[in-house]
Amino acid sequence: MWIEPKELLLPSTFWIAEMYSRYFVLQKRRGHGESRGFGSMLVGTYDSVWNTKPAPYRIVHRTPSSEVSYEIAIGITQDEIAQDWEWLQANLFNVLNEMENEDEVTNFTICKIKSLYTQNNQDETGETADFKVMTSQFRKTFKMPEEERLVNSYSATYVKNKIPRQGQLYISLNHVCFYSYMLGHEIKRIIRFAELEDISRNANTIYLKTTNNMTYNFTLIFNAGEAHLLIEQLNKMAIQQLIQDPESPVVDHDPSNFARLGTKTSKKPVLLRDLTARQKSEEFRIYFRLPQTEIIDGKIKANIWTPYSKRFNAGYIYLSPNFFCFRSDVKDLVSVVIPMKTIKSVEKKDDGQQRFDNQIVIITSENVPFMFAQIVAREVLISKITDLLSRIHVPVSRERAKYDISWSKQTALMNTFKTQFSAEIIRNQEEKMVRWEAHFRDFGRGIGMFRTTDVINLIVEGIPDQLRQEIWLIFSGAIHDKEMNPGLYEDLVEKAACIKDCFAHDEIDRDLPRSLPEHPAFQSTDGIGALRRVLQAYALRNPQVGYCQAMNIVSSVFLLFCDEENAFWMLASLCENLLPDYYKDKVVGAQIDQGVLNELVETHLADLHEHLEQLGVIKMISISWFLTIFMSVISYESSLHILDCFFYEGAKIIFMVALQIIEWNRDKLLKCQDDGEAMLVLQNYLEGIYNPDYQVPPSTDKRKMERSQTQTVQTLIHEAYTKFGEELTQQRIEELRNKHRRLTMRQFDVDNEKTIVKAYLQNPYFDRNELHMLLTIIREEKHALKSMQQQQKTQCSLSETPQLLMHQSPTKVPNEPIPCGGGNGRHEAYCVNYEVFHTLFTELTPWRKCVSVDIGEKLFRLTDKKGTGYLDFGQLINALGLVCSGKSMEKLKLLFVLHLPPLLSKAEIERSRRPRPRTKDDAEEAFEAEDFFDDDASESMEALPSPSDHQFDADDYALISATQHLHNLAGISGNTFMDLSRNTPNLSLNSNTSSLAQRNSTFYVDLPTGAFPGTTTATRSDAGRDDDGQEIGLRQQGRYESIDTFSDISDLGAARMTPPLGATAGAASATAAAAAAAAADKMLLNVETISNFSQISDLVAATRLDRADSNATDSRSLGSLGYLLDQPDEGASGSRQTIPHLRKENFQLLWRSIIEIMGCVQDEEMRMAYDNLLELGNSNIKKEPSLESFTQLNLGGSGDEQPDSNGNPTTPAAEHSSTTRLFVALEEELREASGKATNSSRDSSSSTNTSEAWHISINQFIATVLTVNSIVEGFQTPIQITEQIEQLQKKRRKCLSTNY
Amino acid sequence: MATRKKSLLKVIILGDSSVGKTSLMNQYVNKRFSNQYKATIGADFCTKEVVVNDRVVTMQIWDTAGQERFQSLGVAFYRGADCCVLVYDVTAPNSFKNLDSWRDEFLIQASPRDPEHFPFVVLGNKVDLDNRQVSTRRAQQWCQSKNDIPYYETSAKEGINVEMAFQTIAKNALEQEAEAEVINDFPDQIILNSQNNRPGNPDNCQC
Repeated sequence: MWIEPKELLLPSTFWIAEMYSRYFVLQKRRGHGESRGFGSMLVGTYDSVWNTKPAPYRIVHRTPSSEVSYEIAIGITQDEIAQDWEWLQANLFNVLNEMENEDEVTNFTICKIKSLYTQNNQDETGETADFKVMTSQFRKTFKMPEEERLVNSYSATYVKNKIPRQGQLYISLNHVCFYSYMLGHEIKRIIRFAELEDISRNANTIYLKTTNNMTYNFTLIFNAGEAHLLIEQLNKMAIQQLIQDPESPVVDHDPSNFARLGTKTSKKPVLLRDLTARQKSEEFRIYFRLPQTEIIDGKIKANIWTPYSKRFNAGYIYLSPNFFCFRSDVKDLVSVVIPMKTIKSVEKKDDGQQRFDNQIVIITSENVPFMFAQIVAREVLISKITDLLSRIHVPVSRERAKYDISWSKQTALMNTFKTQFSAEIIRNQEEKMVRWEAHFRDFGRGIGMFRTTDVINLIVEGIPDQLRQEIWLIFSGAIHDKEMNPGLYEDLVEKAACIKDCFAHDEIDRDLPRSLPEHPAFQSTDGIGALRRVLQAYALRNPQVGYCQAMNIVSSVFLLFCDEENAFWMLASLCENLLPDYYKDKVVGAQIDQGVLNELVETHLADLHEHLEQLGVIKMISISWFLTIFMSVISYESSLHILDCFFYEGAKIIFMVALQIIEWNRDKLLKCQDDGEAMLVLQNYLEGIYNPDYQVPPSTDKRKMERSQTQTVQTLIHEAYTKFGEELTQQRIEELRNKHRRLTMRQFDVDNEKTIVKAYLQNPYFDRNELHMLLTIIREEKHALKSMQQQQKTQCSLSETPQLLMHQSPTKVPNEPIPCGGGNGRHEAYCVNYEVFHTLFTELTPWRKCVSVDIGEKLFRLTDKKGTGYLDFGQLINALGLVCSGKSMEKLKLLFVLHLPPLLSKAEIERSRRPRPRTKDDAEEAFEAEDFFDDDASESMEALPSPSDHQFDADDYALISATQHLHNLAGISGNTFMDLSRNTPNLSLNSNTSSLAQRNSTFYVDLPTGAFPGTTTATRSDAGRDDDGQEIGLRQQGRYESIDTFSDISDLGAARMTPPLGATAGAASATAAAAAAAAADKMLLNVETISNFSQISDLVAATRLDRADSNATDSRSLGSLGYLLDQPDEGASGSRQTIPHLRKENFQLLWRSIIEIMGCVQDEEMRMAYDNLLELGNSNIKKEPSLESFTQLNLGGSGDEQPDSNGNPTTPAAEHSSTTRLFVALEEELREASGKATNSSRDSSSSTNTSEAWHISINQFIATVLTVNSIVEGFQTPIQITEQIEQLQKKRRKCLSTNY
Repeated sequence: MATRKKSLLKVIILGDSSVGKTSLMNQYVNKRFSNQYKATIGADFCTKEVVVNDRVVTMQIWDTAGQERFQSLGVAFYRGADCCVLVYDVTAPNSFKNLDSWRDEFLIQASPRDPEHFPFVVLGNKVDLDNRQVSTRRAQQWCQSKNDIPYYETSAKEGINVEMAFQTIAKNALEQEAEAEVINDFPDQIILNSQNNRPGNPDNCQC
């Protein structure tokens, strides 16, 4: 890429020339190539230490006589630089050669390159060339995928074992990475943001601690502060991503909003600028209580004229798309929020004395003037305001017809249900009103009022009832949301009313009378109805929160003073802005703030802290303080005053009051011996808090009079402000929240893991410690994978937009379905999908050495009995445990099973075989041919019929109609199915997806092992993950529907099995199948297409095997494999299970796998065993290919329980007849097939018959193999999973292997 | 030895939202029923002095929030519980079904020493209502299957069986306490004795 020409004095140090021309040299940096000479090592060290970040290639322009050279182009790859070189060759060489003067040549070149540079840079992302080089180096060094975006890099020293290492600290969206290269010694470190447990900074050193107790410290000479903030911010984003359920965006964050309007150019990388802007915007939004969509556009220094004090106050003007704000330099002196849409005019004022003052006057639609002076860049400001005003979008309030006339918006309930106040209280209210009126006269009213300390003083005294609605709306910021979304509330109410049988609605209904029962308004239908509508509407608006107890209590108070719609918007602003994450699952936000409170107690009330910590009181009592803003613990009249302050101050007031409450009871608390006592102390104190402004007549409130009154709420608030108001700042709270967000999330993980370990402690393979390690590694692997996928999504949705999407982009990866039951979805966090399983399998187990067959994939399919695409933790430990254990017999059996069709299908064997006729000694040959086989799972899975294979269209139709048939039978119309999918918000309902989903649902009706396409789609590619997730979800729904309702499931199952086999069938039979499919008999038609008898027998048998039960005592049983193949406690019918015989090809692969797992050349004994087995197989041919055993098998099957299908009492007779029907068809098929066997076989025809008939049973196999000492020994050695896991973690940290 | 025993019993009330946990507690402690309770957020707390087996003990009753998302907070309360009261609403079959998960959750989180014999008591509340949906037999069967948990049908509103149920709770909790102390005493004892250089002290046998 072309760069701004730079003068060079030492053109060739560190560089090797690769190409010459008269005026140009193409150079390559030493130390970037393969050569490991001392020179390149030195250059590498130099680059690493001095952070010169040169691109590996460059083009230098020079003239023979001049000392000076110019760097004109750099390249990250050879191709890139070669392109530039070619361009020079084509366009410049000739022209330059014709020039006479060397100066002219240089000038011309530089001019040309400059123009190229500016031209190219216009359509680029705006990153500097340096940064691009840095990014590419980062990706290369740490093997990061394209999606991982670098934010910035810093020169840093990493101290390890007291040895400092100078290098580069890279900060990308998901990782902190460090690279240093000192004289041949390379150090790489990768730390994910999500795994950071502690971040701190001391002067220039940043300390990081991860969840697995690794500590790092990096010393940065420059920009330590910036790096630290960046790490904090990105960590916060990473943790928030964990809290967020990405499936349901709370608020529609339009990515285009992030397109900044600013035009300032800066040298900083785009992403860094964006992150900084985001940080600033957040502060800005929190301070002025603006909607989440507001992005700060810029700030300009100016003075504001405050008419009440008749003077100018210095501060900054802040601009965002919809708001014009001002904030004074002196804290809380004055601030102003003016919505852009209310700006009527902006005038420059240049008359008289103010001529040089750079004044402007803004007049709002209410004719209120705001005067600003000493504006640093007045012209810029005005043009920006003009620009913003022109873009402003005023939502039109739609006067729409009401669809539902059964409700009307309730006005503030206090008007309907008037409390009888004493004359004194009324006078008190009136006095307050007078003071507020006076305040309005001086400071203005409405959104655009001057917000000063005077207003705080008024609020602390309590807002008069009549004004509460107005003031609450303004200070909570709810008014902005309301104005931007006219009509939304009505829509939500009406939509919510149509939802039936919703769990959240049941919960809401139960709590309606338990919200504010002491108030008459909530003993009437009016109040209850309004509360129901508000809560239901909110549950619909924000499904992630839904309904959480405590929301009912706060909403009912809102409803007393506000109109229904306003109450709704206040609730929204409470849940989304003021108390972030409070009402989500596990009330995580409130738990985080409990942690913050705990730390605040430690700093401010140190003597009490230890004592309280011992009692554990804070954790017990404070959750309701946070969730209900004290409304559930003190009388609601008293809590009103705290609420008044809350809207102005935010969560800060809760902390202040909480600290004050604890402080007030200090002595009593110190005397408490146990948690109960402490609870009582605080409870009594809180119940005694009263509000003289609302002292209701004693007649209605006997109970309260009995109690001792402890303190007025006014004193409480006042004291809280005096004692803690100064020290507690929003910023401090945010910092502490960041810290405790990490700790709380970490604690959740720890608790979860403990519980899961407890649940699985009885497993036969791993002990407590090993289970913990396994859970850790699963969590880590899943996080890594997830963040990557999330980013890929973001990339797709954003294309070229440089801004990254925050946590709430509408196009998110749908949350993984929850296939595993278990308490509170606790276990679901540890379900693994195929990718994770495969990584774990290949990294942790000894069977990774097997490359010719992807055993991991087979094992996954075998273990994932229900075809969900996920393994729960129990399944996982059984699968991995067996492989790592020393149970040689079971392991061999497992290996045998894994090489059976359909796990190892014929198609796969074909693929993995050399495409030439095989000789007798083919197995030997195959060993040598290992390099031919790839271990890429995706490829072998593609060999299976994938849904996109066009030749399967016919079958698709058959299956779809079969599904519909199923649904009809089950009394579920196709519509239901569509309904289900419609409920998934992100589902792209193109016909393709839905038909896939439908098809999959049939597959899973009862056929776990035969279910190829599902597995295939679920794991086929990374790119299609989004759809896959939905498919899986749908598939499950479909599956459950059909399972419970269908009776003759077994023969349907058999029919379903066939499509995968069809893959091996010729094209002709596929067409036949298509024709037959149209003929609509789904049961038998597919069977007819099967040309290979032994395959179906294998298949059916394998299906049986899947239902096998572990209690069988027969040596042919799977023994402890039962864990894998079925739940150990399931069924006790004691039926004999049959493992089908292995055919030759499969056996040969199996043998190869064994050799590979052993990792050695086969010795004499093994060779003998192999020959023996081949011989045994041959002798087996003489027996009749057992149709007999096949029937037996199924007869056995028809009688016994089939837990996988449905446990539905099928009529045995019907089933029997249907199976018989199947056999008859098969028999005919067989005869036909044998007739044209020679034609249908693909391989060398002569060997087909024998190789088809060749088979070996598991007993024969095991018996023979067990005679081979080396194999037995090899399989008997158990693997220490902990060591493996530690190694894997180390490898990840040091970037020796990545999972991307 | 009786004097050494802790005279404090910690009782936890668990069950779905709105089955009447708070009402039961208040009926028992204050002999009062009100339909004006707010939904419990976090937890509520009461104490009552009771006489069990001629001993005066203080019963600490912890009333918890029923909504599922508060369950993760429960851990703080479960610790050291002497008895766990599972409440369901006889008019709400779901609240009965969930007893299983409440019980499991408690056992996992509280990890009592002897989970098999930890004292639970099941209360089927709201028997005063007409639209009963969970039969006594069904509930009894469930209780029997879980190691014979004592079962009572109560009405917090009418005060039916509440006193009796809590007496049983206190009694069972006290037994648990006694058993726990037997187990508890041994390690302590060894330390004490090691100071006295005596291997065993027959006086400390709780039986």
